[in-house]
Amino acid sequence: MSNQKKRNFQIEAFKHRVVVDPKYADKTWQILERAIHQIYNQDASGLSFEELYRNAYNMVLHKFGEKLYTGFIATMTSHLKEKSKLIEAAQGGSFLEEINKKWNEHNKALEMIRDILMYMDRTYIESTKKTHVHPMGLNLWRDNVVHFTKIHTRLLNTLLDLVQKERTGEVIDRGLMRNVIKMFMDLGESVYQEDFEKPFLDASSEFYKVESQEFIESCDCGDYLKKAEKRLTEEIERVAHYLDAKSEEKITSVVEKEMIANHMQRLVHMENSGLVNMLLNDKYDDLGRMYNLFRRVTNGLVTVRDVMTSHLREMGKQLVTDPEKSKDPVEFVQRLLDERDKYDKIISTAFGNDKTFQNALNSSFEYFINLNARSPEFISLFVDDKLRKGLKGIADVDVEVILDKVMMLFRYLQEKDVFEKYYKQHLAKRLLSGKTVSDEAERSLIVKLKTECGYQFTSKLEGMFTDMKTSEDTMRGFYGSHPELSEGPTLIVQVLTTGSWPTQPAVPCNLPAEVSVLCEKFRSNYLGTHTGRRLSWQTNMGTADIKAIFGKGQKHELNVSTFQMCVLMLFNNSDRLSYKEIEQATEIPAADLKRCLQSLACVKGKNVIKKEPMSKDIGEEDSFVVNDKFTSKFYKVKIGTVVAQKETEPEKQETRQRVEEDRKPQIEAAIVRIMKSRKILDHNNIIAEVTKQLQPRFLANPTEIKKRIESLIERDFLERDSADRRLYRYLA
Amino acid sequence: MGMSKDRIKFNVGGRIFETTATTLANAGRDSFFGALFDDEWNLSPQDSIHFVDRNSDCFAVLLDLLRTGDLNVPANIPERLLHREASFYGLLDHVRTAKWGPFDGNRLRLSDSVKGIAPGDGTAIRAGPDGGCCVAHGSVVHVFDWMLEEHSPINLDYQRVNDVGWIDSDNIVLSACERLGRGEGGMGLFSSSSGDLRYKFQVCHENQVKSYTAGALSFSPDYEIFASCKGRSNEYGIGVWDQITGKQTDFFYESPGWSLGDADKLQWLNGKNCLLVATLFPRKDNCYISLLDFRDKNMVWSWSDIGSPMAIDEKRVRDAIAMEDSNSICVVNEFEDLGFIDLRMYGGSVRWSSRSKLMKSKMPDEPCYPKLALHEGQLFSSMNDSISVFCGPDWVLTSRLRRSYGGSICDFSIGGDRLFALHSEENVFDVWETPPCPII
Repeated sequence: MSNQKKRNFQIEAFKHRVVVDPKYADKTWQILERAIHQIYNQDASGLSFEELYRNAYNMVLHKFGEKLYTGFIATMTSHLKEKSKLIEAAQGGSFLEEINKKWNEHNKALEMIRDILMYMDRTYIESTKKTHVHPMGLNLWRDNVVHFTKIHTRLLNTLLDLVQKERTGEVIDRGLMRNVIKMFMDLGESVYQEDFEKPFLDASSEFYKVESQEFIESCDCGDYLKKAEKRLTEEIERVAHYLDAKSEEKITSVVEKEMIANHMQRLVHMENSGLVNMLLNDKYDDLGRMYNLFRRVTNGLVTVRDVMTSHLREMGKQLVTDPEKSKDPVEFVQRLLDERDKYDKIISTAFGNDKTFQNALNSSFEYFINLNARSPEFISLFVDDKLRKGLKGIADVDVEVILDKVMMLFRYLQEKDVFEKYYKQHLAKRLLSGKTVSDEAERSLIVKLKTECGYQFTSKLEGMFTDMKTSEDTMRGFYGSHPELSEGPTLIVQVLTTGSWPTQPAVPCNLPAEVSVLCEKFRSNYLGTHTGRRLSWQTNMGTADIKAIFGKGQKHELNVSTFQMCVLMLFNNSDRLSYKEIEQATEIPAADLKRCLQSLACVKGKNVIKKEPMSKDIGEEDSFVVNDKFTSKFYKVKIGTVVAQKETEPEKQETRQRVEEDRKPQIEAAIVRIMKSRKILDHNNIIAEVTKQLQPRFLANPTEIKKRIESLIERDFLERDSADRRLYRYLA
Repeated sequence: MGMSKDRIKFNVGGRIFETTATTLANAGRDSFFGALFDDEWNLSPQDSIHFVDRNSDCFAVLLDLLRTGDLNVPANIPERLLHREASFYGLLDHVRTAKWGPFDGNRLRLSDSVKGIAPGDGTAIRAGPDGGCCVAHGSVVHVFDWMLEEHSPINLDYQRVNDVGWIDSDNIVLSACERLGRGEGGMGLFSSSSGDLRYKFQVCHENQVKSYTAGALSFSPDYEIFASCKGRSNEYGIGVWDQITGKQTDFFYESPGWSLGDADKLQWLNGKNCLLVATLFPRKDNCYISLLDFRDKNMVWSWSDIGSPMAIDEKRVRDAIAMEDSNSICVVNEFEDLGFIDLRMYGGSVRWSSRSKLMKSKMPDEPCYPKLALHEGQLFSSMNDSISVFCGPDWVLTSRLRRSYGGSICDFSIGGDRLFALHSEENVFDVWETPPCPII
């Protein structure tokens, strides 16, 4: 062990003999310097790497690292100065090529020099924290070539000129461009940014400022957007071809700012070609382009959305408030649906299904649908129309689509309870007249309403369906237990639960004897099985099929209303009857009677009785005879009642009143619910909370809420706070 | 002649070697061989012999290293010579990686023992990230690289060194006592290769620079330096500096009745984002262990033995280390009993595992207090002249490192896949390594 240590010691004393030569460092450096020259002159084939490496190693080993390092820098600097002179001398188009060539040469030389100086790089430079050989070589190139006064601006201008040329449609050498710009990137991010990117962006900004001004004066909006889009793609391609990928965001933001952001308002409002025009003419491509371009700039989409919203509102307002257009409810609603479809399509095809645009569309519809107080009625009428006849021959899936669309409109309604009122009325008519086309469609709509508004909203509607079903069973039971009734007239009774159905004032009316006997039988039968119930006849809602033989033996089956039946049956016993006589015999209310007589006598082709004198309207002095000459090519003749499709003004008032009446308990209930949990609340908050709670059903009127509060105070549910009059207190 | 084009001949210092370009490619581009075979250096035709004016014995060793990845140095080649040659070819990193394997406390072997020349007891030894270490003796710190070559020793105004630590392989932080009235001492950043003072860290209190005594050190991966500090008046607590700017970024003042500025040990807990601060007997009469959260200047956990009844065998905590994986703090007493405190509970007690009774018999003349270290799930504890290794969830004793030379171990440190143990006599330190992976 100790022996070995001794030997080790001897070897550790290993010294290079060359160190004794005082000129050693200079001599070695000269060899290396010559080699560097040779490398730069591309004459390196005769060099021995091993020798050069060893020499550089020895210099560092013998503490001449400093000399080696400064020597290498000085030699390289002088070479680069020479090169920059050569580059400077290059004329015209060869300038860039010369730079590129010299840059490649320098890189190659730098690589070789770094190889020779590898030991210095690893030890001397590492421990003295100096700049390593490779980055130092790049720095020297930057300082002596790129930043050389006679090259610096010339290089930049050449590059910018080429970009400008390419923008104006000329073909340039992209490969060369890429190489030179790659040189900037290799020299470091700051060099690329300071010496190229920033001036490039400034020049681009200037270029697009001028160009966009030119375009906007000469093009319409669609064309302008096309050009902007093209420029944007060009710039993105340019980045891909010869710029640093990080520049993409910067150059596109320049184009966006100059071409879009600065002209946004003008573009959107451009006459005859701006956004409104595009919307009106369904220009999906242009709209899509506008969306994609405006999306890139701040407030771009907001601008588009605002203009679309105000246009939608204006258009919708005209649509719903134009008295001409609200004449036909079905068309009215159809028009709304068409508008919605149109904008749905625009948003889905051109605006990428943007949620904010959908919201804008919804809020606009909500805004203008409620401008017309009759919208709930019209929507219900539309549904009525569809469910009566409109859905015939349409596949189930399409039915669903239509119903879904209606539900969409329904959602916009503020007064959902008004809709419910009308819907109930219309549904009752449909059910009782057996005119509903598809039970399934009816039920599907109810389910939709239920999911939208909850159980409470549809429970009565569902009750109506149940009544229809039970009535069917009851009738079967009735005829089953009275087999003798199969002869003679058939009575079909629908037993309706009071409350579930829209309340109609029960009109007293005298039924013909044949029928009233039957009715009496049914009544006793029904009450026999259901004790404790009360039946009252709603003759105003029934229908009848009666067989009639006219003067010349024409046989027809007439489909009429119960009232009409009562009138016609009178003619079995007399040939001529005056208005007064009919009224007396039937006790049908005057308005209904008039309507009923009108439809029997005045409708062309269905005038089974004649009126004297002949005129359109029914007078109290008129008299009636059977029209013996009545002919029809059909055996079955349906005598319609002249029914007001839309409600008349007084009816409307009445419905309105009933709605208001129904709201009162709901508002009160809401107030009590809120106060029960909050105990004390001030006026403004109570109004806000009640409005919020009732929102899904209707928009509560603050004055009405105030009235309800007062009423509740009177009834000792609430009291005003003695100190602060604005506060209400819940009384348990 | 059917000779592979891959083949290459060298004449190194007169001896002919034949190898392949594939073997030499293992050296990497940033080596002598990488540059030699670069296309730019139009190497003469294949069959010629490349002359290299170097030692042929070392070349043989290094060529084998490139061929097999194993380093086998014949007894007649001094390590220094080999390192010198490896440095010439740019293969030092290859040598270092081949010299020892990944650290495993149960497979350690003694690889070297370095004798010191410093007088008196060593204060601390700290392993560097790449296999080097530094040893603090009195007011001077000796720095060794992974080849165990000593570099220039460092000192901070020749003040007594309290702790030292590596920021990276080239930067060492040293904490020292202040010199009254001179503004000397405190903390300094040194180059490990040249020993130059690069930066002096300052403590500011109410916008005034104060002189201070820096104690225990710790570093976080977020480039923060923590040090326990004692100033003249109020500046007692834990200072925080940014490793990059060198500026003081925070100061946690100690509260009355609790000790921070005198701490013996700081340990940054990365998972909890907290700093463990332990002040122990005999520096203070009582032990204080706490976890500090600097984000909201909060002491999130603390433990102290104040008021706890003294057992007959007087178990006093001599060192503490937090083990984040098991959510506990391991402590050790002067009999090398390990104790555990639950970190999840506030005010928990120490659960001692007494195994010391067996070996309490022989105490050396100059006892050294136990020290603890944790490395990748292995717990190390030094006691007298040996280091015990504990593994597993129940911390079973699995190995013991011991040498009958140098006396008691006063400090040890693990890093760069090596364990350094500093002995109290003769200032000798041992280097323990895991051998390279077995051949099969």
